[in-house]
Amino acid sequence: MPEKVGIANLPNQRHKIVSKQGATFTLMVCGESGLGKTTFINTLFETGLKPYADPSERHNKFTTLHQTVDIDIVRAELEEKNFKIRLNVIDTPGFGNNVDNNDSWNPIIDFLDDQHESYMRQEQQPSRHSKVKDLRVHACLYFIRPTGHSLKPLDIDIMKKLSTRVNLIPVIAKLDTLAPNELDTFKSRIRDVIEAQDINIYTPPLDIDDTASAEHAKQLIEAMPFAVIGLEQVYETEPEKFVKGRKYPWGLVEVENDAHCDFKKLRSLLLRTNMLDLILSTNEIHYETFRSVKLGSDATTNGSDNSQTTNKDEPSSHDLMKKLQKKPRRLHNPKFKEEEDALKKYFTEQVKAEEQRFRQWEANIVNERNKLNQDLEEMQAKLKALEDLVKKLQLSKR
Amino acid sequence: MTEVASENAAGPAPVNGSKPVQELKIIKRKLNGYVGFANLPKQWHRKSIRRGFNLNLMVVGESGLGKKTLVNTLFNREVLKSTEAVLESFDKEDDEETEAEDVTVKINEYTNIIEEDGVKLKLNIVTAPGFGDSIDNTDSWKPIVNEVNRRFDQYLEAESRINRSTIDDQRIHALLYFIEPTGHSLRSLDIEFMKQVHNKVNLIPIIAKSDTLTDKEIVDFKRNIINDISFQKIKTFKPEIFDNDDEETILNCQNIVDASPFAVIGSTKEVETHDGRIVRGRKYPWGVIEVDNEEHNDFVKLRQLLIRNYLEELKEQTNDILYENYRNEKLTRMGIEQDNSVFREFDPLARQEEERALHEAKLSKMEKEMNNVFQLKVSEKEKKLQRLEADLFNRHKEMKDKLIKQIKLLEEKKAQLEKQKLLPPDPAPIPKKKGFLR
Repeated sequence: MPEKVGIANLPNQRHKIVSKQGATFTLMVCGESGLGKTTFINTLFETGLKPYADPSERHNKFTTLHQTVDIDIVRAELEEKNFKIRLNVIDTPGFGNNVDNNDSWNPIIDFLDDQHESYMRQEQQPSRHSKVKDLRVHACLYFIRPTGHSLKPLDIDIMKKLSTRVNLIPVIAKLDTLAPNELDTFKSRIRDVIEAQDINIYTPPLDIDDTASAEHAKQLIEAMPFAVIGLEQVYETEPEKFVKGRKYPWGLVEVENDAHCDFKKLRSLLLRTNMLDLILSTNEIHYETFRSVKLGSDATTNGSDNSQTTNKDEPSSHDLMKKLQKKPRRLHNPKFKEEEDALKKYFTEQVKAEEQRFRQWEANIVNERNKLNQDLEEMQAKLKALEDLVKKLQLSKR
Repeated sequence: MTEVASENAAGPAPVNGSKPVQELKIIKRKLNGYVGFANLPKQWHRKSIRRGFNLNLMVVGESGLGKKTLVNTLFNREVLKSTEAVLESFDKEDDEETEAEDVTVKINEYTNIIEEDGVKLKLNIVTAPGFGDSIDNTDSWKPIVNEVNRRFDQYLEAESRINRSTIDDQRIHALLYFIEPTGHSLRSLDIEFMKQVHNKVNLIPIIAKSDTLTDKEIVDFKRNIINDISFQKIKTFKPEIFDNDDEETILNCQNIVDASPFAVIGSTKEVETHDGRIVRGRKYPWGVIEVDNEEHNDFVKLRQLLIRNYLEELKEQTNDILYENYRNEKLTRMGIEQDNSVFREFDPLARQEEERALHEAKLSKMEKEMNNVFQLKVSEKEKKLQRLEADLFNRHKEMKDKLIKQIKLLEEKKAQLEKQKLLPPDPAPIPKKKGFLR
C-alpha cells in the first residue's frame, strides 16, 4: 500500500471546524448570597466578569421599589489562544434569602425548563439558520454553606429538582472556614446524603481505553463535592513567585494549590477536560429527556385526534407542534401575590364599609319605622279618645 | 458568526404596548492568563475518534467511466467490487433485466468500515447503475433525486421523533459526478442532471479517464465545462476559506478550487515506472501515468477535497445548508408557519416586564370583576333598602290617611253630636252667657 487514504486526519478536520466555530457555554451558579459565587466566577475566568453586588444595595430590596430579578445573566465573549467562546453566566440572586424559602427554587427550575422549551420551539421552526438562541445550562454549580454538619433539607430538595434537569455539580463554598478533618467528614456526609437521596450529580465519564484520562476522571470523582475558596487577590509568597489566594494572619490559602482546595480540579472539570462532555450530555441527555417528556405528554393529550394524519405508532412532532399550545405563564413573583392580596383586601374593606353603611341605613329604617309607628299610635290614641268621646256624647244624648 | 439582531418580529405576544427592546450587554475580552476553555477543540478531537466518522458518498455517471475503479483507488481498497465481478453475479441473478432494452436506474449501497491509525470511518457508497445507459435518458435523474430526497425525509422523520437517541445519518454528503472525457463540453444530460441535484448535494464534477485527453485538451475541456456550469448557474462544492486560515491552507484550498472539475484517472494496480519506482498507475507502451502524481492528473487534489481536508466540511455543509434548505421548504409546503418570535434572546428584565404586564392585566381584570360584583351587590342592597323605605312610608301614609279620615269622620260626628246636644235640650244658658260677654 503506497499511501494512506487520509482518514487519520479526520479528527484534525473536526478540531479545525470546532476551532473556527467557537462554542457556547452556559454556567449557572446557585446558592445563598455570601457564599462567594461571584468571586468564584471571576477567579475561574481570571477576569472581572461579574460586578459584585454592593452590600448597601442589598437593603434596597426591602426599602425601595427597585426591581430584583430572579435570574441574572452575564453574557461575555471570551477569547483564549484564538479560540472564542460565548459564555453565559446565570446567577440566581433571589435565591434562599427570604424568610420562607419554600418556593424560592421555582424561578430557577422554571428558567431551566424554559430554556429547553425555547430551544425546542426554535428547533421546530422551518427556517432556523444560525439564529438559534441557546441558553440551555450546561453546568450548574450548587454552592453549599460550609456548616460542617450536613446538607439542609432545602439543599436536598433543590438538588433533587436540579439533578433531573441539568449537570449538577455541588460545591462546598469558603472551605477555609473548615479544618481539613472537618472538611473530610463534611464531604463524606454530603456524599452519603447525595447517595441516600438518590441525587444524580454530574460525574465525568471514565474512558476505559485511555488510562491517563480515566485516572484523571477518577481523581475528579474522588474529590467531589469540590471544596473551593475563591479570591482574585495575588500575593507574593517568595520573591518572584505570585499566587492567588486568601491571606490570614496564620497563613495563606492558595487557590491553585491542590493541597489547599479543589479549585484546579473543578476548573479542569468545567473547562479543560470535561467541557465538551458537559455540553454534549446537556444536549443528548437532559434536553432529550425534556423534549421526549414534553412531546410525549402532548402526544397523549392530543393523541386521539391525530391518528388519522399518521398511521405510525408515534405521531410525528410536526403534528404535535401545530397542536402545542402556549401554556399560561406561571408567575411566582411574591410581589404579584402581595398586590393581588392588597387588591382583595381593598375590596374586602370596601365591602365592610358598605355593609356598615347598610347596617346604619337599616337601623335608620327601623328608627324611622318606630317613629312612624309611634306617630300612628298617637293618632290611634287620638282616634280612640275621639271614639270614646263620641260614644259618651251619644250616651248622654239619650 | 455574526448575529442578525433585526430578527425581532413581534409575534402575537400578549404583551401590551411596549415591545421588548433587545439591548444585550456583551462583555468582550481577551484573557491574559490561561483558563483552559481553549482546550475544547482538543476535547472534540478525542471525542470524534471515540465516536467515529461516517461518509455517504454517491457516485453517478454512465457505465464504463471507471467509477468503481476510481472509488477503490480513492480509498485504496476494494470498497466496490470490480465491474467484472459484479457483471458475473449480475448475469446469474437478473438475466432478464440486462436483456431489457431500456435499462432502469437502480440504487445500490455498499458499506465498508475503514480504519486508519485508530480512526474509524463508516463509508457508505451509493451507486446508480443504469444512469445514462438508456436510449432515452430524459428522466434518468429522477430515481437519483428521489433517493437523495428519501434520505433527507428519513432524517427529518428521525429528527422529529419523540425518541431520537439513535439517529443514523444516511444523507448524501457528496456526489461525484463523472463526465465523459469527450473533450468538447457538457452534454445536455450532464447539465440536466447537475441542475436537478446541485441544490440538494455537494456536487463534485470530475472528468473521468482523463488519460485519454492531452494536457491542452484537458485545459480546454475544463474551461468549457466551467463556462457551462457558470452559465447554467450550477453550484459545485467549494470549501470555505476563512480569514484566519494560514497562508498555506488558503493556497492549498485555492489550488483545489482552481483544479475543479478534477481530471482524474483511477487504478488500483501497481506498475513499475521507467525509472524503477512502483506506483499506482496505468502502463502504456508510451509511458506510465501515475495516479498519485499531481503532474499527471488531479487525483491527489480530489482526495484532499473528499477525504483528507474537507470530508467534515462536506458533512457540515450538508447538515447546515443543504438539509436545512430542504427541510425549510418541505415544512413550509406542509403548511407549518414560521414563528420568528421564538428566536429571541432571553432577557430577564424584559421577561420581568412581560410578567409584570401579564400580572397587571390579570390584576386589572380581577379588579374589574370584583368591582362589578361589588357594584352589583351594593346596588341590589341599596334598591332593597330603598324599596323597604318606600314601603314603610307608603304604608305609613296609607294608614295615617286612613286614621286621619277616621278621625275626621269622628270629629265631624262629634261636632254633630255636640251641636245636637247643645242646641235642643238647653239652648238658653249659652246665649245668656254670650250676651253677657259681649
